[in-house]
Order: sequence, then C-alpha cells, then structure tokens
Amino acid sequence: MAALWQRLQKQGGIELLIRVVLLLYPFFPVLDWAVQSLTGQGIRLDRQLVNIFIFGLLALALNLQVGYAGLLQLGIAAFFAIGAMTTGVLTVEKYPFQLGFWGAILVAPVMAGAAGLLLGAPTLRLRGDYLAIVTLGFGEVMRIVLLNLENITDGPRGLNPIAEPWLPVFVKDTIGAEKAIYAFALFALVAAVVLLRLLERSRLGRAFVALREDELAAACMGLDPARIKLLAFAGGAALAGLAGALYATNLTTTAEPNTYDFNYSVMVLCCLIIGGLGSLRGALMGALLLMGFDNVVSPLLTRVLQKAIGGDSNFVMASFSNWRWIIFGAALVLMMRLRPEGLWPSRRIAKELHEPPAEVA
Amino acid sequence: MLNVANMSASYGAIDVLKGISLRVEEGEIVTLIGANGAGKTTTLMCISGLHKPRSGQLTFLGQDIVPMAPHHIVRLGLVQSPEGRKVFPRMTVAENLEMGAYTRRDPDGVKTDYERVYSLFPVLQERKTQPAGTLSGGEQQMLAVGRAMMAKPRLLLLDEPSLGLAPLIVARIFEVIQTLNQQGTTVLLVEQNARMALRIAHRGYVLETGTVTMEGTGVELLADSRVQAAYLGE
Ligand SMILES: Nc1ncnc2c1ncn2[C@@H]1O[C@H](COP(=O)(O)OP(=O)(O)O)[C@@H](O)[C@H]1O
Ligand SMILES: [Mg+2]
Repeated sequence: MAALWQRLQKQGGIELLIRVVLLLYPFFPVLDWAVQSLTGQGIRLDRQLVNIFIFGLLALALNLQVGYAGLLQLGIAAFFAIGAMTTGVLTVEKYPFQLGFWGAILVAPVMAGAAGLLLGAPTLRLRGDYLAIVTLGFGEVMRIVLLNLENITDGPRGLNPIAEPWLPVFVKDTIGAEKAIYAFALFALVAAVVLLRLLERSRLGRAFVALREDELAAACMGLDPARIKLLAFAGGAALAGLAGALYATNLTTTAEPNTYDFNYSVMVLCCLIIGGLGSLRGALMGALLLMGFDNVVSPLLTRVLQKAIGGDSNFVMASFSNWRWIIFGAALVLMMRLRPEGLWPSRRIAKELHEPPAEVA
Repeated sequence: MLNVANMSASYGAIDVLKGISLRVEEGEIVTLIGANGAGKTTTLMCISGLHKPRSGQLTFLGQDIVPMAPHHIVRLGLVQSPEGRKVFPRMTVAENLEMGAYTRRDPDGVKTDYERVYSLFPVLQERKTQPAGTLSGGEQQMLAVGRAMMAKPRLLLLDEPSLGLAPLIVARIFEVIQTLNQQGTTVLLVEQNARMALRIAHRGYVLETGTVTMEGTGVELLADSRVQAAYLGE
C-alpha cells in the first residue's frame, strides 16, 4: 500500500487522477446498476462527478488565495455566489439582457474577479487574522444581501430556470445535452489545472513563494507585495466565479442564497487542508474526498443505515449527512496531528512545514 | 548619486533618526558605522522606501525618491541587501539568485550576472541546487550579496554583512565588496565592525542615537581618537 502510494506520488499526480476518472467514466453505468440492485436506487455518478469537478474548481480558486499567496480567506462562497448570481441574471427570462450560457460563463468570472479587486484592494494590507475576519464578514453579508434583494435575486427561491448550454446540433446529438455540463465542468477543471501549473512555474509563481518565505527580502528584490497579493486574490475570486457559473447552470437555478454560507467556505478550506494547502493535486484530491463523501458515500450509507433500523427516517442520526461535520472535524484534527502538510502536498510546502529553516548563528 | 538631507524617522512616537544628512558619490564605498540601535538599519529602510521618513529629502540620481514605492526604487538601481541574511530559506541557491533578477528584462545581462556572481562566490555554484536555508552563515551572506547583485544595482546598500561571521569569512566578503566596487558598483555599507568597514571605505559617517556625529575619509576616521575609543576598542 505504501509502495503504491509512493508510486502514485512520483507520477504526475493530477494527470493520473484525471486519467483514472476518465477511464472509469464508461463504467459508471455498471457501478450505478450495481448500486441500484443492491439498494434499490441508483446514484447517478456522472451527476455527482459534475459536483466534484465544480467543487474542485472552487478548491483550486481558494488554493490560489490561501495556498499560493498565503491570504487566509474565509469567504470564498461569496465569490462563488456572485458567479452563480451573474449567470442567473444573464440567462433567466425575467431579464431583458439574456446572454445565454456562453455569455454568462465569460461575464461571471469577470464580475467575481472585480468583486475580489474591490474587496482586496483596501483589505489585503491587513494582517492575516484581520483579513480572515473581513472575508468572513464579506461572505455573510453577501449571503444576506442575496436573500434580501428579492427584486433582483428572487430571494430564497433563487433565479430559475437557467437554460441549458447552447450547443451546435451535431454536438448535442453526439454527447447529449445532459452530458454537456459534465464535459464543460471537466474541461474547465483541466484548463484551470494546466493554467495554474503554468502559473506555478512562472515568474509570478516564484514571487508567491518568495513572499511566503520572507516578505521583507522579497520587497528588497523589487517585488510589489500588495500588487502580487491582489493578483492572487482577484484571480482566485474570478475562478470561484467561474465555478459558480457552472454550478448554477448544472442546478438550473441560482439556488437558495443560504447555500453560499460560511459552512460552504469552510468546506472548501477543509478540502485544501485535507488535500494539502498550496498543492494543485491536493486541492483536487480534497474536493474528491469531501464531495465524494457528501454526494456518494453519505447517501449510500444513509440507505444502508435506514434499511438496518427499519425505515424510521426521521431519526436524526439515521441520515448520514448529519454525521458529516463530526467526521470532517475528526478528519481535520487527525490531519493536523499526523500529516499537517495534507494527504498529497506539493513538495515545497511539505518542506516549509517539516524543515524549519536552519537559522545559522 | 545619493543625497540624504536632514532626514528624520520614527516608529510611532519614538524618534529614531533626528535629521541626518549624508551623501554617496558615484564609484564610492561609503560606510555608516554606529552601535547597535543607533538607527543604521532605519536609515537604509528609509532610503529603500520600506520605511517612510517623517521629514527630510532623499534624492537618487537627481530624482526625489521619498514618494516612490520600494519596488520602484529598486528599478532605479538602488538595491538593499537586508540585515540578517534574509535569504529565501527553502528556495534553492539558484532560485534565490533568480529572485534577485526579478525586476530585470534583459535575459542576456542576467546570464552574465549569474556567471559574475558564481565567479565571485564559487561556493554558490557548488551549492546551486541546495535550499538556501541549509547553507552556512557565511554562505548565506554571500548568497544575500549575490542576490542583490543580480538586481543590477547602481548603488548597493549592505546592512551589516559581517554580522555573526567568523573573521576569515568577513575578510572574504569585504574583499568581494571591494571587487564589486572596482567593477563599478557604488556601495553604502552599514557596519558595526567599524575597523573592517573603514579600511575598505572611501568615506565614512558615524551615527550615534539618530544623529551623525562625525564624518570623514576612511583613513581619517580610523585615525580619530574618538572613533578609536568608541568603535575600535583602542
Ligand atoms: N519596527 C520597529 N518598531 C519600533 N521600534 C523600532 C523598530 N525597528 C527599530 N526600532 C528601534 O529603532 C532604533 C534604531 O533601530 P535600528 O535602525 O535597527 O538600529 P541599528 O540598525 O543601528 O541597530 C532602536 O532603538 C530600535 O529599538
Ligand atoms: Mg541594524
């Protein structure tokens, strides 16, 4: 097992992960069929995978802010919500300016990125814990604004129905409209991974590392810490906006604003901590584990549990999703104790945590 | 080249610099000596724009640099190597040098400067792929100086490069500072090790609790009885 683990780590991790998912995809109907015959109900794994991809994008977005730039951000859900809401406003029939999926997918990241700039410009100078408080507040304010601006957002009902993505007929005929969002989400995720990989290796990527290592020395070398942090913050916000656009399109609604609450932001942060802060593959793996647990494992276990206790479905503990915070909490505590760098860290970050720089007198 | 006129600086309510004036001419090594806490580091921080002076003028190559941001000042060729060998400990030696060249857009020039740094400090070439945090104190200081050189400074500000190093290594570093100067880099050297600094400096200033109390050529200051009593232990 350990040897297999090491081999997994040696090979390009993300590429492998994606390859495995892609290879498995044709077999999902079989898996679904198996689950259905065992528990009497399918779980539609392809749909769950869309959620995992979208959540993976969101984790990558937060990773850009928290992992690369070291900005403790507790309100990522707000930018996700802005992306979803922009998509709603630009695509539902209620509004005269319908741009459709393609327009929305372009405008949503711009809006979220702009919000990131506006929030970041005055606040990124704040020390870590203050920034955390400001972003937490921003997240909650955004949620409440969305709830109360009923004229624009339709409040708790959310904007709907969001039309499905427009596709050329021949594409629609070959992959089917329902699979389109799966393809988009996967494509967006792969594109984001490739771009972030390039970013890591770029001049700006180096600058992120230098800033985390020693901000004063970095400033002495002519880096502009304020600008670099703002870039990371706005970039992460934009990526979260893209994830939000896909999320709304997938759901066909902008959803109840309470979806985008503090818990949601914390969930994304959990992904990073479990997978490995600052590591692309770690973020994806965290998203896979958490979302996989929420969408696949937990419903399955719930069914098993309810069968076992004989159908009293009102019993709180009989629904496995009510166990999630206990399980996530325990997982986080264990991670912090045993493997603070995450399950699948980037080599550099693992070093930062395990080898305190030798201070030579 | 650099002109500091009547500059004051404070941290909150504490006045640290009380109107100091000094200048550095092109081609010189100028040293600023003084005891711990005199305000030497603060002076350099103000010059590089990392701490804003409360009052006074700062001009570099005829430009007023007081309102400029630090990253802008670096681009003018005014580069500081900060106190305490602040290398990036988990980046490799080569990556540290690469960060030094962050502002530069001339790949060919950067390449020749790598060669230059490696020829001045051969040990850095040997340790190229090693994380900077695993180097010895002397090697880290060499890396810090080398990294600042990569930024192509016209005026190099060095904050206590001898701090905590063995005499032999200090001698080696001061030798390199002199070489750099002969190759055309102007140097403002902040030191507590007054003897070594005054030996290689063309001119020097003595800073005492935020005030410049003496100035002169290196030779003059070395011969001055007050300097000898206070800083040379004679
Ligand atoms: N960030 C700071 N905040 C408050 N006081 C400071 C700070 N940095 C330095 N000082 C104080 O300013 C004075 C001068 O410090 P410094 O410029 O570092 O002197 P030197 O480099 O000559 O040892 C000292 O009394 C020091 O305690
Ligand atoms: Mg000092």
